[in-house]
Order: sequence, then structure tokens, then C-alpha cells
Amino acid sequence: MNRTGAIALTAAVGLAWSAPARALPTMIRLGYANCAACHISPQGGGPLNIYGRAIDEAQSLRSAEYRPSENRLVKLLSVRGLVQQDLRAVFADQRSWAGHPPGTAVFRPRLMYRNVTDLGKGFRLSAIVTGETKFLPRPPLHYDPPASPSTIVVNTALVHYRASKTLEFAAGSDQLPTGVNVPDLGVFIKSRNRYGYYDSPVQVKAFWGEKRYLVIPFAYAPAGNQPDAGRESGAGTLAEFDLLGKGKTVVGVSVLRGTGVGGTRQMVGGYTRVGFGRWGILAEHDFADRTRDSMTPAFGSFRQQASYAQIFWAMREWLVASAIGERLRVEQPFAEQLTAGKLEIAARLTNQASVGLVARAQRNQLAHIWGKSVTVQVAVKTAQ
Amino acid sequence: MKQYFGPTVLAVVIAGPVTPFDTTAAAQSIPGQTGDRAAVVDVLGGSAIFDAGTNISAINVHGKSTNLGGRAQIRQAGDVITIEQMEARLAVKTITTGMGLRDEHMRKYVFTTGDGQTPDLKFTGDRADCASVPGGGGESICKISGQLEIRGTPRPFAITLKVNKAGDAYRAAGDGTVKLSAYSIPQPSQFGVTTTDDVKLHIEFTAKPPITNQLEARAGGIR
Repeated sequence: MNRTGAIALTAAVGLAWSAPARALPTMIRLGYANCAACHISPQGGGPLNIYGRAIDEAQSLRSAEYRPSENRLVKLLSVRGLVQQDLRAVFADQRSWAGHPPGTAVFRPRLMYRNVTDLGKGFRLSAIVTGETKFLPRPPLHYDPPASPSTIVVNTALVHYRASKTLEFAAGSDQLPTGVNVPDLGVFIKSRNRYGYYDSPVQVKAFWGEKRYLVIPFAYAPAGNQPDAGRESGAGTLAEFDLLGKGKTVVGVSVLRGTGVGGTRQMVGGYTRVGFGRWGILAEHDFADRTRDSMTPAFGSFRQQASYAQIFWAMREWLVASAIGERLRVEQPFAEQLTAGKLEIAARLTNQASVGLVARAQRNQLAHIWGKSVTVQVAVKTAQ
Repeated sequence: MKQYFGPTVLAVVIAGPVTPFDTTAAAQSIPGQTGDRAAVVDVLGGSAIFDAGTNISAINVHGKSTNLGGRAQIRQAGDVITIEQMEARLAVKTITTGMGLRDEHMRKYVFTTGDGQTPDLKFTGDRADCASVPGGGGESICKISGQLEIRGTPRPFAITLKVNKAGDAYRAAGDGTVKLSAYSIPQPSQFGVTTTDDVKLHIEFTAKPPITNQLEARAGGIR
């Protein structure tokens, strides 16, 4: 396989199996306009609050009443409800092809420990730690090298302070806030904008929101796993608004400006999440203007555009199918033109087990190479 | 050719389960209204959407039914519409929230009587004079008061409808608010999430002459 083919294959692998299946922006179809309804963290991801656990169970194939665990060990570990924690195991098996067979087969198991500890008086700690053996860094780009992977990854380590019902602050290490907030970290709008699996910059952020709006200003600095050429500091804001006030028509914008060793990055994006009962649409388009100074191998300025569109349909409450289209355009001197399509079906069997099947095809329009992949993912977690 | 009906009386009876072939009152003059005309208009498959806020800012509970049925009487004199004898019905089992388990909870805790029955929601409207909207392209605003039965218990209820005439049909949409406490229904609560006492209600429907009327009209039976 030539180098271009290898890059296409690597991209296809990375782009289809990195979904941690943790956030569900598709819940917009039922009027859940943001993550805070079900997740303890207003950014989504991580442990569910008790209402979210009930929804998790109600929306599963089993569709049972949620009852907090009566297991003595679980109750003991929860320290009278102050500690919310679980273990989550995700097993992804992927077959990929670039050009002609034979392709590659990769099995990627991960184990996550997720903890939220209530400290009282509005303060809490949250952490997500992942153990893995197969690494999945972002695509290695000359102008944006990926964060370094490791066997033990601290995805999230935050101190939160909830000042009021509508205002929360957080400081620590985490993924930066994003627009449509799809769980797949391999999509262009994420993998090409430094929202990869190992990107957890040091940051402070605030969540200010009411029923119809949410504003998330943030400032960040490089994490320890960033290579020198990829270190970046900056600030940005997400702002979204529920147009019709029913929690089903959210539009938002995101802005970010970062300064790194080799240049700057300015990103502006627009996104929407809309739901219509059984189906809905998630869409985002981002512009990222980068400059690279004369110290880098290629200097000047160039623009990157990444698009994402997903139409989803809840065939059953527990069974959601999606068709997804993506597009990436990068200007010279790092010209890239990628187009991708993905079919995805996700089934929530119980509040502890889910399965997903993803078929993806990606076209490198400059190299005229197709990359294809099929992924099966099984996720199980302990219940509280 | 434009037809002139003079002060027109349209009899629109909203009933449910809708009986579109039971149209004996359709398109008949109402006694004592010499020169007036009456017609019957049914509602089939109208939609009713409710929206309840909660104590958690990120959570609202929505539900919908597309089985609103009914019947009413309408008089029309020029641009002025008067609605009378309005009756609407909605089967509880047709209301869904998108989550099966939540639907069960809703039926059990909101709509089930002490003896285990789940009677349909029923609205009986008083006479309502509608005001045409100046420059509204034929739109009228109708403030309808009446009795809304939930769990078989009638309580005063008011809704404001925007009504537009389209051919021989009337398209209507309106909003009202139901207070659970008026029916002695405790605010549903689950895992710390409690709905508000006020539940917003939005309805949309098209009222048409009963099918038999339409058939007769096509056959030249109505002049």
C-alpha cells in the first residue's frame, strides 16, 4: 500500500470507531435541548444524574423502572449518595479497507472509570480515566500534531462550582466545549479542530444557561501530553439559543482563538440541533483560519472548513439509525479534500449495555482513494 | 360564481369519538333563525400538544396526540363568526410523550381516576363570538370558554383560537393553559424533577362539513 493509501486507511480507521457513546444530542428529538438534563456535567459526557439514569433505563429495550441499586457495596461506595461512579467497558472491532482488499482488522477494548464526588456547598470533583492498549490519536498533520496517547488517559479532571441554578464554573483538564457535541471524536469537525480523544487542555469555563439559552465561555492552556509543536493557548465561547422555546430547535455559534508555538488558529462555527419527535437533524460547519510562522516548514495562512450533517430516526425508543455526511476542505499548502458518508445504528439494550454498528466510506478527492470501514461496538457499564 | 348566504349560520358540532355519518343537523336551518343557514363541521385528526415545564431548567415535558376529534356549530354573518355547541374529545391513550414508560406514568398519575378508569378528555364550549382581525386576511380570533373534563371532572377552561376559513373548511389553532391543581391532580414528580402546575396546551385542527354533506353537495343536494 502506498503512503496515501496508508493515510486514507488510518483516517478511515480513526474516523469510525472512536465514538465513546456517551453523549446523545439526538435526544433533542424529545425536547432535551442540552446535556444538563441527564448528565451531571452541563457539558455532557460522564456519569448521569439520577433523572438521566431513569431516562437511560426508560429509553432502553428493557424499558423498565429505574431503581437505585440496593447492592450494599454500591451503596457503601456511594458514601450516602455523595459519590457517583461507574466502570464502563467499550469494545470496538473494526474492519477497514483502502483501495482493494485485504484490509486491516483492529480490536480496541477500553475501560473507563468515571467519578463525580459532591463536596458540598456547590463544589464537586469529576474525573474520567481511561485504560487502553490500542491508541487512537488524531491524524498526524504537519501543522497540528496530535496529543500523545498513553495506556492510562485522564480525559477529565475538573473542579466544579455551581453558583446558582443557572451558573456553573469548572476548572481543570477536559475536552473543550463543542457545537453539536456528537460523541464520535473522529468526525472532521472534531478530529481536525483539536477535539480528539487525547485532547484535554487545562481550562477554566463557565456554563450560563436558562431554558432557552446556554453560553459557555472558556480559556485554555496546553495539557502535558501536547507535543511542543502542538501546544496552544486560547479562549473562546459557545452560545446557543432555543428558537421556538420547546427545546427542539437549537441554533448556536462557536468562536475560538488560539495561539501556539508555530502560529495562530481562529475558528468560527455555526451549528444546529433540531428534533421532530422520532427524528431530527444535527449539523455543524466550522471555519478555521490558521497561520504558520516562518519557523515552520510551510508558512503563511490557510483556511480549513469542516462540515457535518446527520439525520437520525428513532425507529424505536431504544433503536436509532443515522445517516451522516461529512466534508473537509483544507487550503494550500496543506491541501486536502475529503468527503465521507456513514450509516450508523445504535441500540440501547438496557441501562447497562448498548451496541452499535457503523459503516463508513471516505473519499480522498485529491488522491482519488476510497477508505471504507465497518465497526461493531459494544459498551457495558456498571449501574448505580 | 360568488354565492351570498346572507347572515349565515354554520352548525359545527365537535364530538368524539367522531361520528361523521351522523349528520342529521348538518346544513340545516337552525329553528328561529329564519334566513340563516346551518352546517355541520367535524374535526377529525386534529392535534393537541401539551408542554409542561419542570423545576429543572433543562427539562420540559412535551406530549402530543393527533386524534383530537369534535364538532361544533358556527354562525357566520359577514366576517363575524360565532361558535356554539362546541364539543371536543381526546382519548387519553392517544397522548404520547415519546417515551413509553413516561406515557404509562402520565396515564397512571394524571389521567386515571380513583376507580382505575381513564376517561377521555372532553371539552364543552360555550357560545363564542369571534372578532375578525383587521387586515388579517379573513382570520378571526375566538375566545372560547367552557368546561374541560379531565378524569371525568369538569372545570372551567378557556382557549383562544385563531380561525381561518379555507373553502368550506375552517382551520383553527389556539393555546390555553390547564392547571393540574384545579383537578386535584398532584404535580407529577420523578427523581427530583417535578412538573409545573400549569400545563400549556396547543391545539390545531381543520373543521370540515361532514362527509355526507360533501357528498350531497357534490350531488347538488345543497343549494
